[in-house]
Amino acid sequence: MRVFGGIALLLVAFGFALPSVVEAQMEFSLDEVDEEEAEPAKQSESQGDLIEELAAGEETADGPEEPAPQREEIAEEIYAVQQIYALRLKRFELAPSAAFTLNDPYLKRYGLGLAMNYWFTNVLAIGLNFIWYDWCGERPGCNPLDRGTDIVPRIQNQFRLGVPINDWQFGLWANFTYVPFYGKFKVRKTIFQWDSYLIGGVGLMRTQPIPVFDPEVRSFDWNTNVAFNVGVGLRIFMTRYLTFFTEFRAYMWPDRFENERVDPGNRNDPSTWLQSGSTFVANTSIQIGITLFLPVKVEYRLPK
Amino acid sequence: MMMRARHTLLRISFVAALTFGLVTAEGLAGDNSVSAQSVQVSGPLKGAPSVRNLRLWRDMRLHVEPFFAFTIADEYARSLIVGGEVRFHFLDWLGIGGWGGYSVGQLDTNLTKEIQSSGVTTNANRLDLPSRENYPGQVGRVNWWSGVEVHFVPFRGKLAMFQKVFVDADIDFFVGAAFVGVEERADAVGQPAPGNVTFCQFEGNAMDDGCLGSQGARASRVAIAPSFGASFNAFFREFVGISLRWRGIPFKYNTSGTDNNRDGQIDSSDRLRQFNNMFSVGVIFALPPKIKTTN
Repeated sequence: MRVFGGIALLLVAFGFALPSVVEAQMEFSLDEVDEEEAEPAKQSESQGDLIEELAAGEETADGPEEPAPQREEIAEEIYAVQQIYALRLKRFELAPSAAFTLNDPYLKRYGLGLAMNYWFTNVLAIGLNFIWYDWCGERPGCNPLDRGTDIVPRIQNQFRLGVPINDWQFGLWANFTYVPFYGKFKVRKTIFQWDSYLIGGVGLMRTQPIPVFDPEVRSFDWNTNVAFNVGVGLRIFMTRYLTFFTEFRAYMWPDRFENERVDPGNRNDPSTWLQSGSTFVANTSIQIGITLFLPVKVEYRLPK
Repeated sequence: MMMRARHTLLRISFVAALTFGLVTAEGLAGDNSVSAQSVQVSGPLKGAPSVRNLRLWRDMRLHVEPFFAFTIADEYARSLIVGGEVRFHFLDWLGIGGWGGYSVGQLDTNLTKEIQSSGVTTNANRLDLPSRENYPGQVGRVNWWSGVEVHFVPFRGKLAMFQKVFVDADIDFFVGAAFVGVEERADAVGQPAPGNVTFCQFEGNAMDDGCLGSQGARASRVAIAPSFGASFNAFFREFVGISLRWRGIPFKYNTSGTDNNRDGQIDSSDRLRQFNNMFSVGVIFALPPKIKTTN
């Protein structure tokens, strides 16, 4: 790590001395990639990328220590590298988003979400995300089945089959986020930085069966289910503090649906209204939104 | 179904408007010198190209890509597809290509299994569901897929994976026409009257008792449809890369094998528009293997 820190110091110093040159360099040459591929291999004395990142992240914020002066002249090729465009380390992230469910054939589901993360390294964050789905609320005459797709009446007419459907109120999850991929792309003369991240966590999902099989008698309360989620996302930096992001998330939980059978003898018994077992629900959705990193300014502490 | 298509269009329009709004709002409000990462250079590099020694992954090269794909968001059956794609690029950002695939597997969805286990047949719906046990046999399926497309590659860059692997990457948008081999339930007429069907008439059988023969009768055709999509490509060697591709092919077919317009017969007017889409993973082999770079 000390060797790595020393070289990093030289590179950063060179970059500091020639900021305009550094900014202009956006090569996609074979040489450049070879260099990048070769250097980490030579310097990889650490235990793995994650640990290395933890350490690297701290160094980036506080600045690496200055190495001892060299007594002998070293003829060495030095390559200028860019600073990381936007540091995440020790910043809060606020991310409002819209969520669209992809795989529910029966009900169109839209959610409004808000996520909050704290980046405790440059690649690892912990946070919460919340999605609100219940647009009817307690309003009279508002039926979630109005958001039903046309496949529901077709199934009922053509196959004489009822479909038990649950409404969703909200979901709340605690998540870890890890950024294994980052890169940049060029549009005309503008270079955009992007990263791709993996996210996953645990939380709760509030659902409620919609009475379909015996709506005159049955009514249901909201249930709270333990829920999990995993996902992958893409974030494009518009500025150092504002990004556009899209995520593919799979929210999963065991849910209980309305019992398709109506027991004539115990029709009013609520214990017969739900199916005996749970059904595993996997809601895959696309989320689109923006993220705001706070504080908005990134401070690079450079060696003098 | 039209309502559904309209909603889908509305949804896409909303997302596009949101994206456009974000980009333009940021562009208008922000200081020009700080928009994304503008490369503004003075001194000896002023006027120099922003990219030097650019590797031309596509320019005058042939890309051969075997792939595995699966359809998503299907109502009754999803397809597992093995196929290949060939593309030739006149420019690094523009090319044409053709692709084809065969459905090596068909997986019934949970809805199909539910109908198979719990569907109910009466004279009122006998044409739609002659027998619940044999329901998977009447579901519409796609046996093969092919198409020609124009490819446009406006974005390219490089990425780092786990701080160890550095690769070039680009995003390929494409649009074209697809030719799809569809297999559906064959035309049949419910008798003696719509809503009270006891037997069916179809080609080769004028007295199909209980419509059981009609349920398994199949007809094949080629559907022509627009195709479009996008792929993310990463290149690991001068001649090898991987591709993650999404492709949409909207066309009409009778997915459920039922009388959808309630006219007492199963025919072409029962086809409903489906937004068929698939996700594929492919390996790109580029020819010639030696890559060119710009000066």
